[in-house]
Amino acid sequence: MGIKKKDVLLAGSLLLAACLLFFVLRPKGDGGQIRITVDGKLYGTYALSGEEKIRIEQESGVNVIHIRDGAVWMEEADCPDGYCIRQGKMERRGQAIICLPHKLVVEVIGQEENENGEALDVVVQ
Amino acid sequence: MKKDFYVIALVCGTILAACFFCGCFGKEGELLVLEDSEASLEFFAMDTYMRVVAYGREDQANAAVSAAREEIYRLEKLLSTELETSEIYQVNAHGKGELSTDALSLLQRAVQLSEMTEGAFDFTVYPLMRAWGFMDGQYRVPSPSEILGLLGKTKVSGVLVDEEQGYVEFEADGMQIDLGGIAKGYAAARIMDIYREKGIANGLVSLGGNVQVLGTKPDGNLWRIGLQHPDGGKEYLGVLQAMDLAVVTSGGYERYFEQDGERYHHILDPSTGYPAESGLLSATVVSADGTLADGLSTAIFVMGKERAVAFWREHIAEFDMILYTQEEELYVTQGIVGDFSSSLLFEIISEEP
Repeated sequence: MGIKKKDVLLAGSLLLAACLLFFVLRPKGDGGQIRITVDGKLYGTYALSGEEKIRIEQESGVNVIHIRDGAVWMEEADCPDGYCIRQGKMERRGQAIICLPHKLVVEVIGQEENENGEALDVVVQ
Repeated sequence: MKKDFYVIALVCGTILAACFFCGCFGKEGELLVLEDSEASLEFFAMDTYMRVVAYGREDQANAAVSAAREEIYRLEKLLSTELETSEIYQVNAHGKGELSTDALSLLQRAVQLSEMTEGAFDFTVYPLMRAWGFMDGQYRVPSPSEILGLLGKTKVSGVLVDEEQGYVEFEADGMQIDLGGIAKGYAAARIMDIYREKGIANGLVSLGGNVQVLGTKPDGNLWRIGLQHPDGGKEYLGVLQAMDLAVVTSGGYERYFEQDGERYHHILDPSTGYPAESGLLSATVVSADGTLADGLSTAIFVMGKERAVAFWREHIAEFDMILYTQEEELYVTQGIVGDFSSSLLFEIISEEP
């Protein structure tokens, strides 16, 4: 009882399936995402790799968030203190821009990695 | 039916191989079937943004983060300086009043921290904070005579606590207290207790600059905590790996205002009444005690490097610290050197001078 042609074919196709599975399931390392929440509620998620300006108008005021070149920053805000604008550009997972008066949070999430190639769990700001 | 067996073996082997390459296995090679579920809540409280995370059985983890949020709301109602119904507000308004057990023990902790740091941590600086506009955002530079007057009301020794009666009274009119300097650290520490009570062994809280972790990550690895660079988003001061620790940073780089070309940040030196100019841009304190870490981070920032190093050498068993100076020098105390990594050069502060 030797190995038949059919068996070889089967083995080959299974190997192919394994490779496909590997590519489908492998951990994605394609940069981070931006998650915006307003008063604890999800406003939207955006790719950090794209370019986008997001204008959010609320009763409490207006914020304009800019995503470009793999970084996100608060471009405009009419909150009284302006801390959110001063927080500058964020690009690392775990970092966040917080506009307290408008209860708005812009977080970098996803697979962004630090210089040692390992992701952070939290950032002390 | 030998052939069927052959096919099944091949399928199993293939899936196993795929799993291996995809990282479905844990570090030690065991199949991760019983993975902890993650529960998290994000919300605004105590004038900051908070995130609480717990890992465990789904119902336990959910119950734990809900209880954590409730505890923060409860403490906020008790300790707020803005809320008319809070115990601290009432004491500030009348110069005296009764305190419940929680508020009283936190007040005593604040007194103790003030003594320990020889006044670098001062919870009676509140009238000065108001004069500068740091409480309501109406920033102004008070006149030197106004500051001098308010410095007279900034003295922890003027807070008279009657432990037996649960009563506090201020020595002078116009004195006011704010326990906000340790409230978040205390809340983080309380949440660790709540997590344990709820059967949670792994968790993390980030309460606006106060981070505290319970146990390790669910996979057994240490938590990786990034320290924000005062210059902003691009770079980290470093990464600290930790378990069962609180990490708190104080810096003048986020909350400040500018007037006539001068920059005034929000951490006041209780001895001068002006923003602390200690040469530090950021001070991070690492300790198993969340309340201590919170209070000390402010105190260390006010002290400056020289005084902070001498202070650390007297309290080596209680905390470690990471300092970043205006000269862009980074210092790390001996106790955490093994768990700290940075792309920047740093100097180790050792026990012996």
